Amino acid sequence: MTQANGWIGTILRINLTEGSIKKEPLNMQDAHDYVGARGLGTKYYCNEVDPKIDPLSPDNKLIFMTGPLTGTAACSSGRYEVVSKAPLTGIIGAANSGGHFGPELKYAGYDGIIFEGKADHPVYLHIDDDKVELLDAGELWGQGVHETTEALEAKHGKVRVSCIGTPGERCMLYAAIMNDKNRAAGRGGMGAVMGSKNLKAIAVRGTGGVTVARPEGFMREITKARTMLKEHPVTGNGLGTFGTEILVNIVNEVGGLPLRNGRDGSYWDKADDTSGEHLNETHLVKNQGCFGCSIACGRVTKIEGKGDLDGFGEGPEYEAGWSYGAACGVNDISSIVKANFICNEQGMDPITLGSTVACAMELYEMGAIPEEDIGFPLRFGDAAAMVKLTQMCADGEGFGKIIGLGSYRLAEKYGHPELSMSVKKQEMPAYDGRAIQGIGLEYATSNRGGCHVRGYMISPEVLGIPVKLDPQVTEGKGAMLKTFQDLTALCDSTGMCLFTTFGIGLPEIAGQYREAVGSDETDEEILLKGERIWNLEKRFNMEAGVEKDTLPPRLLREALPSGPAKGKVNELQTMLADYYEARNWTADGIPTPEKLAELNVTY
Amino acid sequence: MLVKFLATYRQIANCKSCDMPAPSNVLELMEALCARWPEFDGLILNDERTDKGDDVIILVNGRHIEHLNGVATPLTEQDYVVITPLVAGG
Repeated sequence: MTQANGWIGTILRINLTEGSIKKEPLNMQDAHDYVGARGLGTKYYCNEVDPKIDPLSPDNKLIFMTGPLTGTAACSSGRYEVVSKAPLTGIIGAANSGGHFGPELKYAGYDGIIFEGKADHPVYLHIDDDKVELLDAGELWGQGVHETTEALEAKHGKVRVSCIGTPGERCMLYAAIMNDKNRAAGRGGMGAVMGSKNLKAIAVRGTGGVTVARPEGFMREITKARTMLKEHPVTGNGLGTFGTEILVNIVNEVGGLPLRNGRDGSYWDKADDTSGEHLNETHLVKNQGCFGCSIACGRVTKIEGKGDLDGFGEGPEYEAGWSYGAACGVNDISSIVKANFICNEQGMDPITLGSTVACAMELYEMGAIPEEDIGFPLRFGDAAAMVKLTQMCADGEGFGKIIGLGSYRLAEKYGHPELSMSVKKQEMPAYDGRAIQGIGLEYATSNRGGCHVRGYMISPEVLGIPVKLDPQVTEGKGAMLKTFQDLTALCDSTGMCLFTTFGIGLPEIAGQYREAVGSDETDEEILLKGERIWNLEKRFNMEAGVEKDTLPPRLLREALPSGPAKGKVNELQTMLADYYEARNWTADGIPTPEKLAELNVTY
Repeated sequence: MLVKFLATYRQIANCKSCDMPAPSNVLELMEALCARWPEFDGLILNDERTDKGDDVIILVNGRHIEHLNGVATPLTEQDYVVITPLVAGG
């Protein structure tokens, strides 16, 4: 029985220790206050879990949550969120994914799933509308993502599958949860939490639907937003034609593409070899979209005639193309595509993995990692070694196990934690905070550690969307980032894709949300929910023992040696003061009791 | 002076980059590009041909012209220019 407000109204609660399955009503007050997906999943999590929990202990919980727009006709509304405390960082680890799994879960009759406890043997959850059962996953354990997905499709017919590969089974710290084979709830190690519970997969088939509160108004808002997306050069044509990898050249040209673990600055004369333009010429089969998406930025790719590299899959996205490209100093596009295939096939975060290989390359070249530890030379630019080490990490073999710890623990082990290009133990993505000041502030303040999609400052600083900010200056960045972070939290929580925000903004997101749930709230009141979500995440992180907001010393002290931003470091302290003021937090970056009360952040 | 083309502009120019004599400023460069490749006309200049189009990014030595002197930004033979349609990713 669905509700006429974008929600089904039912949560599945699965206790893996007991093997019990319960259906309970959705907490509608929290759904109102925290929107859905990222916000609502985090609220449920904060309500139920001690912030000091060991992420890999049976007492931890793992929450899959959709949004009120997930599975509706809203723009690019195929998203869902996986929420838990992240084993890589020790703070909140909400990870967002597209594809078709989220909508299918709602069509089966469930807004979300809360997993508790730990099964005493490998299991998977099978959902076929009202029928929900835990089944033995013994034959799936040890299989990769693609094999697991295909086995469950063969057994259960037309199901949508979310699962882990073997790294997740081993609780590798940045194992991803993969759905529809190549879509990832990728960052922070949600796959490790799933593996710690002996939960291999969820296979879901749903035949129901989602009903919205005001269908005519909803369709009016969708038509308006879809027209804007179609007419915008990025969402109408650019992303579909070139995918996200198109960013390589423009980011490099502003001097913001971190090269060789950031050691050698952020301008690369070989960047074009790894670009979206070159990927189209060499490996693209076709573009592909997620559920209900007109943008269709996905890349279906293949490698042919390259011997052991040959394969078929998806990607890379820009971030993975950088981590395996410029970060490792590798300009062989086939090897980059291959390394990304391995990450997808086994469920690993390629941003962290590629960055960790890059860190190891720097440590090796400076003599901090002896060659006997690795088993072979590991110099920047060695594409074969990079692919080999990625496969070793997937297999949990030799030095690959050390790579599986992430760059912070790797660099600490070899005596140079300062060479991990991470924030709060999660690797920063593909933009240098010395050349692009605001993205450095975003990395430092992101509620899940080094991350670009919590407040994508590249949009105003490099692309000029929706306003043009000079990437090399600090003025105005704090207030702009605060707005971006709040809007992103809102967008993620509706179930829409963040990429829509290149073409539409708050009025269109709020408009679709309002008509779906039957709200008369203003745009500003709806955006305030994004701020509430941000403050909730921050509060949880503080109680979990989060590290202070800062950046690796390299970004703060080592001036860029070349390129358009030559001589620049990140001016973090200046921007942090502005940012905390914009958030109305203390000068030390702490939400005040008054602020939390104003936003009604309680749990 | 080196001019680099990105994304679909490469297809129009049928090259990744070219050497051109440096005109006095960015506006004159865009006019020269339109004269050499008429497909650029209507894309990189606004309707009045007084400024760049809304959906164009132009960098001079890696700096957006909005943060320099707009289309009046002066050019010399030692400068290099990047011109791209608006793209995004992440």
